[in-house]
Formats: sequence, structure tokens, C-alpha cells
Amino acid sequence: MCLGIPGKITEIHADRGLPMGTVDFGGVRRDVCLAYVADEVKVGDYAIVHVGFAISLVDEEEARRTFEALREMSQLEELEWMRESAEQGLGGLPASTS
Amino acid sequence: MKFLDEYRDGEIARSLARRIRETATRRWVMMEVCGGQTHTIVKQGLDELLGDAVEMIHGPGCPVCVTPLEQIDKALAIAALPNVIFTSFGDMLRVPGSECDLLQVRARGGEVRIVYSPLDALELAIKNPDKEVVFFAVGFETTAPANAMAVWRARELGVSNFSVLVSHVTVPPAMTALLSDPTNRVQAFLAAGHVCTIMGWQEYEPIAAQYQVPIVVTGFEPLDILEGVWMAVQQLESGRHEVENQYVRAVTRAGTVPARHIVEQVFELVNRKWRGLGEIPASGLGLRQEFAAYDAELKFDVGVIQVDEPAECQAGAVLRGQLKPNQCPAFGTLCTPERPLGAPMVSSEGACAAYYNYGRYRIAQTVES
Repeated sequence: MCLGIPGKITEIHADRGLPMGTVDFGGVRRDVCLAYVADEVKVGDYAIVHVGFAISLVDEEEARRTFEALREMSQLEELEWMRESAEQGLGGLPASTS
Repeated sequence: MKFLDEYRDGEIARSLARRIRETATRRWVMMEVCGGQTHTIVKQGLDELLGDAVEMIHGPGCPVCVTPLEQIDKALAIAALPNVIFTSFGDMLRVPGSECDLLQVRARGGEVRIVYSPLDALELAIKNPDKEVVFFAVGFETTAPANAMAVWRARELGVSNFSVLVSHVTVPPAMTALLSDPTNRVQAFLAAGHVCTIMGWQEYEPIAAQYQVPIVVTGFEPLDILEGVWMAVQQLESGRHEVENQYVRAVTRAGTVPARHIVEQVFELVNRKWRGLGEIPASGLGLRQEFAAYDAELKFDVGVIQVDEPAECQAGAVLRGQLKPNQCPAFGTLCTPERPLGAPMVSSEGACAAYYNYGRYRIAQTVES
């Protein structure tokens, strides 16, 4: 449960004062909270994202490698949960984008 | 070892393993804390690759597994209430309580939904003001900041139909409990990389010093784990007991300070029961008094729920390294991932489920027959 998934931050905005961003996880996009990395984050950065929160910034190569490793380890279950949320209209983007 | 053949960095992994075997002058006993690491170790056969140099004990670092039976039963009771939307991460839905699981509650008409983020559960509450939305807040330090933020935001936005059923646990007290046990065999720890992404490793320094155990903060990929083992073996061989960081790509000593800060504001330390290990003092997080309005246990009267774990389950012995999963008489017979008796068979990150899923079941049977 504790393994985050790396994604690319493609846009940054605020939701009623909370720093948020759109993150692309190998083609699956959704809103992610950037509060914990707000001081250092910018569009185009890569972050390890866990249950909707960016917890650490990483470089592009590390992000790619980690994503592949998670795929090899069959540890991408959080992507399934993202789909479940998107189907309920949650997570900031309509289900059709996932 | 056949598993490593399919791994793209197999050659580097084998050479690291060779170095570990050449360095070890005796067989060291090491525990990986994180369930993600357990999954990797068993899937790739790293424990077999290390041969006589290191025995790996698979620790209690799977939040799904260690959530106590009574918290599951409380979740089931709340989820079955009318007018409640019960939300959870996907991997909690088939964790068995004493009588059924959340999927069965859903089949009987309870409104149970999987969400990716606790903020999604909060959004669901905002969209359904006439319903009570409850989120099952489980997890280690990696997940606690997310759940803390959802509660914080609920108060900030004045959302009163949102609450959380909290069953948070933290890693260092479990390590201390294992080390203090008279039957302890663990001589070094691989600490969980992603937990330390948030928390850093300052908390581990007094543990390493007091119990004289090397602790290496380690990632979850095969090469990370072998490198973590290699660093720990070098410490053991030279009589050192320090906290070292293998996972420099994502972890710093201080961790992610804003995330730690919100956890401290919303949660406080509480005694917590661990499935398979029993109650460990100050090993859990509970909501602070000022957030009591968001505590599902106070909001919904589900009565006093106290249950005992099945006597056939040897999870405690497995988590302490006294028993390998496939040495348990119930393994693969009374207890399977489909019908788990106890903690480590529940989730794919639990030691028993990993053994079962990656063929150790067949090995156990071959040995017996």
C-alpha cells in the first residue's frame, strides 16, 4: 500500500487555497495535491505520488525507471483505484480522460 | 533463482549477491520491514539467491495485514448502516472480519466504494450532503499525511458529513517491540524507503544505538534490496550499528517536513493493536481531541467490538521470524489468499500471500510428500 507511483506534473492550480496539480501517470491523468512539495514544484517536474499526494520530487529518469519497476513487480494497483475514483466523477477530471 | 533470469538487471543483481555471500562470515538474520519489499524478495527469489549468507525475515510492514480484526468489524458495521457511503482504498475490501468482508457488505446492499485518495472521499461528501461519508483511514507513515489532510480540509471547508475510521500504525514502535521480545532473532533491519520519504530516518537513530542493530533505509526494487542487504552485512561484519540510507534517490534525513507537520497537527500517538502482534504501546495514530467531530468511531455507535484472532493462525510467529509461512500447518490448506485466516495471507504484500502466490506453496508440498 505504501508504494507511490511516479508521474509528470502537467499543470498547477489551487483548489480553494490548496495547491493542486494535474499529474500524468503513464497516460492516466488526475488531480493531485501538491501541498507537501509546494515550495519546490513546477510544471514539468516528476513526483512520487501516493494516494493523491505528491510526497517527493524525482528526476525524469528515476520516474521512468520506478514506473517500469512497479509494472514489473505488479505493484500498480493504485492506478486501478484511480479508475474507480474517476468512474465516480472524483479526482478532478472526467472518467473519459483515464 | 529462476525468477531473476526474467529481471532486466539480473547480472548486476547476481554479482551483488555474490559479493554479499563472499563477505558474510556467518549467516546473518535480517528483517525487511515493508510489505512491498517482501513482495519483491519472494517474487524474485532474492532470499534463495542469498543462500547461506542472510536469512530474511518478513516484517509486519503491510498496513492491510496488520489492521486489527476489531477495526475491520467496526468498518463492516458502519458500512452496513443506512445513509452511509463507506469509502476505502481498494485493498481493504476483501480483508476478512470475523464474519464477512466489505465486498459482502456491498453485495447485501451497503454502499461501499473504492477511492484512490482520501480527498476523493471528502469530495464525495461535498457532492452528497444528505449522506454520511466515512473513509477507512489505514496505513503507515506514508499514508498518514494524506488522511490527515482530508480531515484538516473537512474542517477548513466546514464539511460535517465526512468522518474517518482511523487505524493508523507507525513503524518504529513495531521494530522496538520485535527487538525487545526475548525470542528476537533480528540482527539488522531494512527500513521502508517510502515511509522514510515522509519521516526521514532520525527516529531510527536511537533504535540502532540502543539495540545495536544496523538499520538501512532501502527502496523496494530488487537492486535496492540487494544493495540494502549488502550495506547491512558490511555493518554487521565490522561490528557497526548505524542508520544508513540506500534509497538516496527519494529519501533525506529530515523527510518531507510539511507532511510530518500536518500529521502532528491532526493525529496523536495512541496504543494500537496489530493483527498478529497484539497491542503495542504508542504504535498508532488517533485523531486529536479537536478533530473528534470527524471520528467515525464516535459518530456512529457500533457498540463495543472485541474479537479474538483464529487460534490456528501462526501470524505472530511468522512476523517474529520463528516460522516460515509455509511451515505453518494451516498454510495453503485452511488458510489461502481466497480464505485467509490471518494477517499475512490477506494482502499481496503479506509474507504468507507472497509465498503462496510465488510458488512456495508447491515447494512446501514437495518437501512434505
